[in-house]
Amino acid sequence: MADQSQQKAVQTTGHAWDGDLQEFNNPLPRWWLWTFYATVVFAIVYWILYPAWPVGKGYTKGLATTTFESADGKEVTTHWNTRAEFIRDMQSGEEALKQRAYLVKVGSASYEQVLNDPDMMAFAQSMGRVLFADNCAACHGLGGTPAQIGSYPNLRDDAWLWGGSIERIEQTIRKGRLGYMPPFGKVLSEAQIDALANYVLGLSGNPVDKAKAAEGDKLFHSDQAGCYACHTNSAKGMYAQGSANLTDQVWTVADVPDATDIKDKLARVKAVIRNGIERHMPAWEGRLSDEEIKLLTVYVHSLGGGQ
Amino acid sequence: MAQGAVAADAQYDYDIIKKFAIMALVWGVLGMAAGTYIAAELAFPFLNFDIAQITFGRLRPGHTTMVIFGFGGNALFATSYYVVQRTSQARLWGSGLANFTFWGWQAALVIGVLGYLNGITDGKEYAEFPWYVDVLIAVVWVAYLVVYVQTLRRRSQPHIYVANWFYLAFILATAILHIFRNLAVPVGLFHPESYSLYSGVQDAMVQWWYGHNAVGFFLTAAFLGMMYYFVPKQAGRPIYSYRLSIIHFWALSFMYMWVGGHHLHWTALPDWTSSLAAAFSILLLMPSWGGMINGIMTLSGAWDKLRTDPIMLFLITALSFYGMSTFEGPMMSLKSVNALSHYTDWTVGHVHSGALGWVAMITFGSFYHLIPRLWETRLWSTRLVYVHFWLATIGIVLYIAAMWVSGIGQGLMLRAFDDYGNLAYTFIETVQFMHWPLVVRMLGGVFFVSGILTMCFNIAMTIRSAKLEQAAIEAKIAAKLAGAGA
Repeated sequence: MADQSQQKAVQTTGHAWDGDLQEFNNPLPRWWLWTFYATVVFAIVYWILYPAWPVGKGYTKGLATTTFESADGKEVTTHWNTRAEFIRDMQSGEEALKQRAYLVKVGSASYEQVLNDPDMMAFAQSMGRVLFADNCAACHGLGGTPAQIGSYPNLRDDAWLWGGSIERIEQTIRKGRLGYMPPFGKVLSEAQIDALANYVLGLSGNPVDKAKAAEGDKLFHSDQAGCYACHTNSAKGMYAQGSANLTDQVWTVADVPDATDIKDKLARVKAVIRNGIERHMPAWEGRLSDEEIKLLTVYVHSLGGGQ
Repeated sequence: MAQGAVAADAQYDYDIIKKFAIMALVWGVLGMAAGTYIAAELAFPFLNFDIAQITFGRLRPGHTTMVIFGFGGNALFATSYYVVQRTSQARLWGSGLANFTFWGWQAALVIGVLGYLNGITDGKEYAEFPWYVDVLIAVVWVAYLVVYVQTLRRRSQPHIYVANWFYLAFILATAILHIFRNLAVPVGLFHPESYSLYSGVQDAMVQWWYGHNAVGFFLTAAFLGMMYYFVPKQAGRPIYSYRLSIIHFWALSFMYMWVGGHHLHWTALPDWTSSLAAAFSILLLMPSWGGMINGIMTLSGAWDKLRTDPIMLFLITALSFYGMSTFEGPMMSLKSVNALSHYTDWTVGHVHSGALGWVAMITFGSFYHLIPRLWETRLWSTRLVYVHFWLATIGIVLYIAAMWVSGIGQGLMLRAFDDYGNLAYTFIETVQFMHWPLVVRMLGGVFFVSGILTMCFNIAMTIRSAKLEQAAIEAKIAAKLAGAGA
């Protein structure tokens, strides 16, 4: 014990705290010191190459440079900086060039040319998919099918509220849409709403109360309810109003397919008649480029039932 | 030996340390449980149940505040008050003021966290406290500094032990960071909102100057202070190198202040500011490792302790994670690496390898050493310390590995192109990919929380048995006295 503590006394700084707390005075580990020096060399080289130290109102620019093309087509060389690097990457990066070549081609082509060119269609599928997922999927669902019937239209079926032709899809994306049906809860009596619901459900082949449906038929085509004004006399709807076709089996607002029985179905349709609809799709013009809108149009058209 | 003559709890103020230590564990359990819950929310979003108070955005600042300032802060108060007394061989100065630091700190935490859950926040990461809590913290912090410095001035030792340098640097730097980050004008006396003194990119720069130095001085320097006392104490060996401790202390203190800009690479921050920060981050690597070397080498010649002493396992594992995350940090601060890692879970994993691996593990180890000494007893169960160690270690490994997969995976997906030069993946696809790593991360959290719960049980039983022992001794003395009387 005595030997050991004596040995310690030689090696430590000679201070002791709290009884037995001591410090050896070993030299700095060599590898630690040399690695530290290496990081110093790294830092100095880094500072020589890149913008680094503030001097007065400016800063040291560094030796590294970036070359890119200015807006008026001149070659510009500046000290390394992230903005110039970004411009250069977008101008001459390998992937950017590939994408640009296609965008130029698609931009100058007509829809017909795009639709009939397998190469441009493949590009439209590739870029449209990402554009759709990053901009549209939040409402319409990944792949064009919303999580549930109600808030947003399904883009994968054959039914189109505003039309499924290329021109109408492009207009929808560009300008946005306002889907509106007034609430009838205060205009019509419960019995009238019940009659209308029976009529509407009967149109798509549901087993409904015949008498009530007949009454609903009358009401539908009357000026008191005025349903025919938007849904048309044949109840097939029209694209100009974004009014739904009530004769097919496709439901865009009332989640009829999910209903348990006819009573439940009636309740869901009545809720729509009572409360009306207010749906809003924003305009994408200005937020997306013309080429991007064109690609999205082609992509949505190809999702299902494009007309 | 002066301290041999008097019982430790008569010579030193242990009551204040006990209070802080227990609250560290309480906040630790709350904060880590909250963290695990928000981790579960990220994997299974329905878990927010549409209750505003427990959505990720509200609960997350609650989590960070409870673990950093609640668990970490209380642990630092406890250990620093212990270390400064033991290494100065002096009783804590101003017990009233020290008690104020305790109640003031707990009040700040309670008001702050309840505010976050109800939407009252400054919105500045790790500095979300509204202005009135900022004022309270500033007052508490000045009291802390006074208590600490006055105790040091009372020391009966000519030299100040290295652990105290680190604690003091932490107290001073935190005061500066806190005050300058929170300079603001309140909207009104009865409004929680305030206008920051800084705007735009300058506010961002101040934010990360604050944020990264909170990591540097609160979560690194201060816990190095803890390390410098508890590692040599538990190992029963002198610190490896006094020289190294001086060099790396000053290097660390100097370098850290410059690196905040690396949180803002590829943003509106001027390029010179961000490359300056990147280079200083590389320079910081070896100064950081100085502490790891000093801790681990202290054990050289006594490696066998790792086989018999679970407390040593905690301390050495903490130093290993410290070394790993202080290597990872400088790498991530290089712009090219950062372009991949930033805004992904890699950052989250990196923070937690420091927070769980270093901060929590060194605290657990130190507490297992500290608590029995405070209550003058022995740990109730050494076996449970092993159980805790393995639960915590498995938890950390699951956590970090999951975040590497999730973060690097997402980073690579976001920059992948297809044959047409288009992005190969949509954003939502990268999120879908992250689902399973997020589930594994949540499991890591469950392991880690189970670990600290095991610890709390062990500590509670230790305190209980200490009280029973005390009662038994008192009964014996009373019986003896009665016998002598008869």
